[in-house]
Amino acid sequence: MGWGLILWRVLLRPLRREPARAGLTVLAVALGVAVTLAIDLAGEAAAGSFRSSVETLAGEADFEITAIGGVPEETVGALARLPLDLRVRARIEAAGFAPDGGFVNILGADFLEGADEAAAPAEGGMRRGALVSAAMGVAAAGEVRVRVGERTLAWPVAGVLPATAATRGVRLVLLDIADAQESVGRLGFVDRILIRGPRGMSPEQLEEALRGSLPDGVLLQPAGASTEENRKMLRAFRWNLRILSYIALIVGGFLIYNTISVSVVRRRADIGILRALGAGRAFVLGVFLAEALAIALVGSAAGVGLGRLLAEGSVAMIAGTVNALYVGSRPGAIVLTGPAVWLAASGGVVVALVAAWAPAREAAGVAPADAMGRGRKEYRERLRAGRLFGWSAALAAAAFALARLGPVDGKPFFGYGAALLAVAAGALAAPGLTRWGVRAAQAAAVQLAGIEGLLALRSLGATTRRTSVLVAALATAVAMMASVGIMVGSFRETMIVWLGDQLKADYFLARPGRSGTFDAALADRIAGLPEVAAVDRFRMYPISFRGLPSVLASGESRVVLTSGMTRFLDGDREDALDALPSCDCVIASEPFATKHGVRAGQTVELPLAGRMVRLRVLGVFYDYGNERGMLVMDRGRMLRHLPDTALTSLAIYAKPGSDPRAAIERLLAGAEVLLASNAELRRGAVTVFDRTFAITYALELVAILVAVMGVAGALLALVIDRRRELGLLRFLGASRGQVRKVILCEAGMIGLLANGAGLVLGVALALLLVFVINKQSFGWTIQFHWPVAALVSGLTVVYAATVAAAIYPGRVAARLNPIEVMHEE
Amino acid sequence: MRLLLCLVSAAALGADFRLALPGYRFEFPRDHGPHEEFRTEWWYFTGNVSAGEREFGYELTFFRQAVDEEQGREGGSAWRLRQIYLTHFAVSRISGGRFHHASRLNRAGPGIAGALPGRVWNGNWSAVWKDGAIHLVASTEEFGVKLTLIPDKPPVIHGVNGVSQKAEGAGRASHYVSLTRLRTTGEITVEGKPVAVSGLSWMDHEFFTNQLTEDQTGWDWLSLQFEDSTELMLVRIRRRDGAADGFASGTMVDVRGAGRHLTAAAFTMTPGATWKSPASGAEYSVEWRIEVPGESMACSIKPALREQELVSRNRFSPTYWEGAVRAECRRDGRPVRGRGYLEMTGYAGAVQLSR
Repeated sequence: MGWGLILWRVLLRPLRREPARAGLTVLAVALGVAVTLAIDLAGEAAAGSFRSSVETLAGEADFEITAIGGVPEETVGALARLPLDLRVRARIEAAGFAPDGGFVNILGADFLEGADEAAAPAEGGMRRGALVSAAMGVAAAGEVRVRVGERTLAWPVAGVLPATAATRGVRLVLLDIADAQESVGRLGFVDRILIRGPRGMSPEQLEEALRGSLPDGVLLQPAGASTEENRKMLRAFRWNLRILSYIALIVGGFLIYNTISVSVVRRRADIGILRALGAGRAFVLGVFLAEALAIALVGSAAGVGLGRLLAEGSVAMIAGTVNALYVGSRPGAIVLTGPAVWLAASGGVVVALVAAWAPAREAAGVAPADAMGRGRKEYRERLRAGRLFGWSAALAAAAFALARLGPVDGKPFFGYGAALLAVAAGALAAPGLTRWGVRAAQAAAVQLAGIEGLLALRSLGATTRRTSVLVAALATAVAMMASVGIMVGSFRETMIVWLGDQLKADYFLARPGRSGTFDAALADRIAGLPEVAAVDRFRMYPISFRGLPSVLASGESRVVLTSGMTRFLDGDREDALDALPSCDCVIASEPFATKHGVRAGQTVELPLAGRMVRLRVLGVFYDYGNERGMLVMDRGRMLRHLPDTALTSLAIYAKPGSDPRAAIERLLAGAEVLLASNAELRRGAVTVFDRTFAITYALELVAILVAVMGVAGALLALVIDRRRELGLLRFLGASRGQVRKVILCEAGMIGLLANGAGLVLGVALALLLVFVINKQSFGWTIQFHWPVAALVSGLTVVYAATVAAAIYPGRVAARLNPIEVMHEE
Repeated sequence: MRLLLCLVSAAALGADFRLALPGYRFEFPRDHGPHEEFRTEWWYFTGNVSAGEREFGYELTFFRQAVDEEQGREGGSAWRLRQIYLTHFAVSRISGGRFHHASRLNRAGPGIAGALPGRVWNGNWSAVWKDGAIHLVASTEEFGVKLTLIPDKPPVIHGVNGVSQKAEGAGRASHYVSLTRLRTTGEITVEGKPVAVSGLSWMDHEFFTNQLTEDQTGWDWLSLQFEDSTELMLVRIRRRDGAADGFASGTMVDVRGAGRHLTAAAFTMTPGATWKSPASGAEYSVEWRIEVPGESMACSIKPALREQELVSRNRFSPTYWEGAVRAECRRDGRPVRGRGYLEMTGYAGAVQLSR
């Protein structure tokens, strides 16, 4: 008999005999693998979108030059005249809105550019009007209308851009640079200069040569650096998501452990025979590891396909989060890459093998004579709960120690490690907890569920090992749900409180989608209304600070001082706001301070309109609106450096007892700006917040689903293993209903234990998330808060699902033919 | 007188540009600088230089073209297409039998290209007048020049009464001035290696608004620098049907730098052997026979290299043949040798700008 045949007989045939249970385990692995893969792919697609179409169309370059407030256009001429074989191309980048309100990218480029190159198409060169992408829905020879600022501009369409990956689905209007400069009001400036160096010149040499001839205060970066910065910025976010997705895999691991343990118990006799026939321990070990491997491989294979599908669904959710938290982006295409598949599938296999190791070794340790003994005894309890408790405590202590360590490269690796150790500590504590819980609950069970309750608890008590694994699996899922729920709930509450402090104005004005600027004249007219007490003119510039995207903003310190309620965590609020208008100073948001290690009293250097400006940091304020971090200057002071008066948003304070809404709306007629009341803005912010965390809720759901499926599978196994016992019960007069009730009671008890353990573990994990992982990844101070309603409803749903998972096994148990099962052996 | 840009159709007579009319008083150095009141202007530098046995020819030409639609609009973006600069750059490696050429097309924009008194540039290709010399700099990744040109003779004004008439009608003419003998030193870079060279260059500077009529499709132009320190410029304009049109002219420059105007009747230009361009399909007479009876002069012109065609890569610049030539002449019965540049335009089809 070949080894292959033995493997088949010992291993795969039993799996085939119980398709439902094997299928559930495979499905659990598949889901775990699928979720990790989906999160990876969708995260990549969401991040990949930063290589925006505009950037791709901008063309290849070695370096790019940008500046806050634009690069003075003479720089283009100066670079073109350098005694170097450079290609210098200038770009205007702006945004507008289509008549249907859709966002339109406007790109200005020199239409003569490249006309003298060998590769230029014969018809290339100057064209009058605009080139548009197909998504604009305008035909050549038609007219394209875009609202830019307060004006609607129309250009004849000179042509439609060829559909490429860069232009597909993107609304883009490509204009000659002169038209672009005039239409978007950028006279004298360009937004980006692309530089292509001569062949054979190293980037270092080129950079050196360029630096010497650039004015101060412009930023010279390798091309694509902003994409790199965006990806860097998203790294922490994606790491957290990825770690979260691994929880589903870990829960799957518990189920593999359970499945293999059951197999070992079932096949004790087979193991004995094999061993008696000369099979070594290693072979037995191999057989069970092979079983786990088979499950993992099938599960992983299915998981890859499923993951690809899930990625489609989750990319929109992740992009939603990215948009809400970071910058406007457009999800890119989902690309199933080899490394991503390999990573997810190997994750599934590794988790399966690790999970199967202990039961497989157990099997290998079985002595032949012992196993050949008659009858199929319940697997002997050899757990040493006390020792496990000791280990559990040690791991918990280690987790605590790790939690106190700082981030590595901006990522809270020690925090993740602590979370993993906490989960492991929970799992090790599960047997003791289960045994203790089952014993403690007996009296109550009898009272609540009668004899069936007692039978259920006794059965669970007799199979503590198996039960404790189920409890651990479910508890891990519950803990994840609870911890994320607490973290998100705390964050939400913190933000709402902050919004209440921050948003004191009665009305807010901004462009739809919060992108772009509007004319300051509008603010002046509103400020002049008799109903209006004060306005705070706010302007934001996206900047790059120490290699990370950030925001430089200006507001009116005077108004903020008297009306707003910005809270400071470093530096004195009154002093800072008082001093802002009279010095080159800034206040920094908490995420900015955390990311760049900036404190009150320090100085930061920023290039402003062609000059390096040193800005003193007067204080650090709480801000939950911008993950990138923000520096805020006084408006008057900023206008000295960047004399662009356009506004990003406007806060409007009404005079007591008057409502200026109607008057403002009259002024706004025709302007592409949105007026939001205080309440509307807060509601909007909370909606955005909830959308931000949609993906985490979805991940939790999958983990719970995996765990509940595990409960169903395990109970099914239990029913099959105990069919003689259940048959005996029927024989002794138990009704089908009573048998079913026993099974449901078991599930109920497992659910109860898991919810209890999960809640405790969840709180521990939530503390880690809030105070370690979040703080280190994102730099936000979150006030701990119990989202009681969400927790209660979450736990209830899990409990109900656990009990519901017992319905099918219960039915199987009830259908057992007592006479048949009693005569089975 | 130079390259046909066929810049403007006859219909677009005018805008508010000044016409090249008789009576123009040249004044230097002012008139080496730009004349934006005229629609079109060019500065042409050609030369024959050598490094010992190695002979080179070079051409560096800056064209300025005003765009009608953008004239008279004040303010707005510096990137408005008011002036377009087209620059042609070629190096003939006569000894190596290779011809390199490149072109650059830019709007004036914020200092990207332009012309000021004493300076004309297109990116980092430039001609700068300084301390009585002209400094030329241009390079691509393949080839480059860095030359200093010192005039041996005063500027020569072609034509009669300050205008070089090109067709029937007032203003169908250009203002045309040359520096016919420019002692040249500097370096030419080919294959990544700079070579110190010396020789002679020629500068043409011409500005006008509407010089040709619609049925004039091109011309043949020739400049020669003789070993007896005299120079000759000849040009004949061709009609659409290929026949030479009555408008032809020339200038003979004597040893002291005085120019003598040659009317169409004063010389003949006879095409000889042809070369067919594999790139454009155009057939050029690369060999010529010229006779100037008044000077008792007859020459046979042969190209230093047959393949000296500048093939256009866009619809803004024409495809034409412009290259170094060698002349074997007899003057008053004595043999005289000369070197120069020959330009033949309008053989590869008409070209238009900014339409």
